[in-house]
Amino acid sequence: MTTLTAPAPRVRLARFRDLTLVPVIVLLLVVGAILDPTFLTAGNLTNVLQQQSAISLLVLAEAMILIAGKFDLSLESTVGTAPAIAVMLVVPAAAGGFGIGLPGALVIPLALLIGAAIGAFNGFLIIRFQLSAFIVTLAMLIIVHGFLQGPTEGKTLFELPDSILYLGSAIWLGLPAAIWIAGALFAAGIFGLGYLRLGRSLYAIGGNIDAARAAGIRVDRILYGAFILGGTLAALAGILETGRLGAIGNNQGVGWIFMVFAAAVIGGVSMDGGKGTILGALTGVLVIGLVQNILTLIGVSGFWQPVIYGSIILIALMISRIAGGKAQD
Amino acid sequence: MTFGRVVAAAALLAVATACGSGTTTAGGGGGGKVGIDHPRADSDFWNSYIKYVPQMAGELKVDLMPATNSQNDVAKLVNNVQALTGQGAKVIVMAPQDTGAIANTLQQLENKKIPVVTVDTRPDKGKVYMVVRADNRAYGTKACEFLGEKLGGKGKVVQLQGALSSINGRDRSEAFLECMKTKFPGITVFSEPTEWEGSKAASMLQTRLEQNPDVKGIYMHAGGVHLAPTLQVLKQKGLLVPPEDPKHVFVISNDGIPQEFEAIRKGDIDATVSQPADLYARYALFYAKAAADGKTFKPGPTDHDSTIIQLPNGLEDQLPAPLVTKENVDDQALWGNQVK
Repeated sequence: MTTLTAPAPRVRLARFRDLTLVPVIVLLLVVGAILDPTFLTAGNLTNVLQQQSAISLLVLAEAMILIAGKFDLSLESTVGTAPAIAVMLVVPAAAGGFGIGLPGALVIPLALLIGAAIGAFNGFLIIRFQLSAFIVTLAMLIIVHGFLQGPTEGKTLFELPDSILYLGSAIWLGLPAAIWIAGALFAAGIFGLGYLRLGRSLYAIGGNIDAARAAGIRVDRILYGAFILGGTLAALAGILETGRLGAIGNNQGVGWIFMVFAAAVIGGVSMDGGKGTILGALTGVLVIGLVQNILTLIGVSGFWQPVIYGSIILIALMISRIAGGKAQD
Repeated sequence: MTFGRVVAAAALLAVATACGSGTTTAGGGGGGKVGIDHPRADSDFWNSYIKYVPQMAGELKVDLMPATNSQNDVAKLVNNVQALTGQGAKVIVMAPQDTGAIANTLQQLENKKIPVVTVDTRPDKGKVYMVVRADNRAYGTKACEFLGEKLGGKGKVVQLQGALSSINGRDRSEAFLECMKTKFPGITVFSEPTEWEGSKAASMLQTRLEQNPDVKGIYMHAGGVHLAPTLQVLKQKGLLVPPEDPKHVFVISNDGIPQEFEAIRKGDIDATVSQPADLYARYALFYAKAAADGKTFKPGPTDHDSTIIQLPNGLEDQLPAPLVTKENVDDQALWGNQVK
């Protein structure tokens, strides 16, 4: 144990940099408690966590891909399309399905598989074809959403198999299952990117891809993995959201990607790759969830909510910049 | 992101416009071709409308061109209208969701002597031959009266608002609030700006019920997006109980899609205002044909239970939008009972 004393201070400093948003969260908790007595109750805070669990998985996926120096905008479309196509493969034609009638138990594996396939295709275009990740995934955002709108002909899928509703609506040990799932995946992400060789190599690739390659890291394979895992997480987010909402509408997930980037960046993840942590990204999601919750509780007029909401994100960005002490990029 | 999406989508526009949705060209009928643009393809209500259009065109013998779809984007609508007139449309049917930004296009169409029928929305400026819509303010008022009576004039209600940037969202919201203020001052209203998004609706309703567990009424501006999330939240809170139970939360919706009827039959929700997708399609084409034939109309009652009113920039036929409750939910005349 004594041998560990030397590197200890550096570790502590790095940890501190992850947590630049903690003062913002504390501030929001105090302000929220003053503004509304309901805010600090266990029930309300549980709701905030449940409401954020789906989008948090997207933030986890995006943080990972950003750290590796890439980009994925299409995640938001996967949130709607992956569960919808999986459901359509299962439910009868009368309920809006394809009429293939695969067993209901397959719906979750199918959705995850579709998410993984979308991620793999993104990876193929970006890694193999060397196309710009931004434009590829922008086009994929449109195409993947089209694969929701096309087959459903714009209709909402109301009749869903019970299996897909379960994860998003079940309660495990007094807390919504979605919170446990998101919590476990974030724990795995924090551990994986912090301590595992595979996770650390994402930083190496994002920091300097040529150096990483020279150092013997199998860059392409790991990037493929990041995109596939990202797509799978987005599909899981879609499954949780489907259970929470009880139906798959045609705009499920649409517009989320902006919030995902906001959460990742205020949480300290760099858009240029190589910097940031999963824990930081998690604090970013929490800030956004708390702000939304407070705005709803105090009943800010719908006409002005976007202004206040956007301003609070900017302020959080500034606080994390000041507390972090380093220029953002 | 949105900007990027617009740019990319614009690139695809030429293709999309050219293809149209390839529906019917029900031949016959004199007077000239009717060009039609649909406002969006991602909502249950509009998809029903889109399905009715070729059917009604056949019945009314309207020479309909392949439809375009502007996907809720006024810039695309302007381009589509230009394409349609370029292809020889003599009458244009459209549903501009942005009622201000369409003014110039209407001016250009007037200069070309092309009459315009708008569906669902009333343009702020620019000549229209006929506006075909239900009175959205009446939706808000009906919802207010229904909830006010059920709650006995006191208590708390939540309204899940549509997008406040759309005239229909604003009309429903304002009329609901005004009516509550004047007729039921004892009722507290919480307005949630959901932007027609199910995800926001679920979060906002859940938060509001946590803060005010004694909320007894919910007004949903759009059944298509708000129904499933609302039921899911109520179920989670153990509030999805029959109307006889004192814990019951009274829910009234707007739209009139089959799933709302199903929920009314089950007792999950109590009422909806049926927005007549079939009549929208029928009378849009009826007036389009009349315009092509050079007919004119005057304000006053019509032969189909509606009233034409005078607008500064044209006429508006205000179609009836019936309140549907458990008593009349099986009425076969309701369009929600006719769609498959």
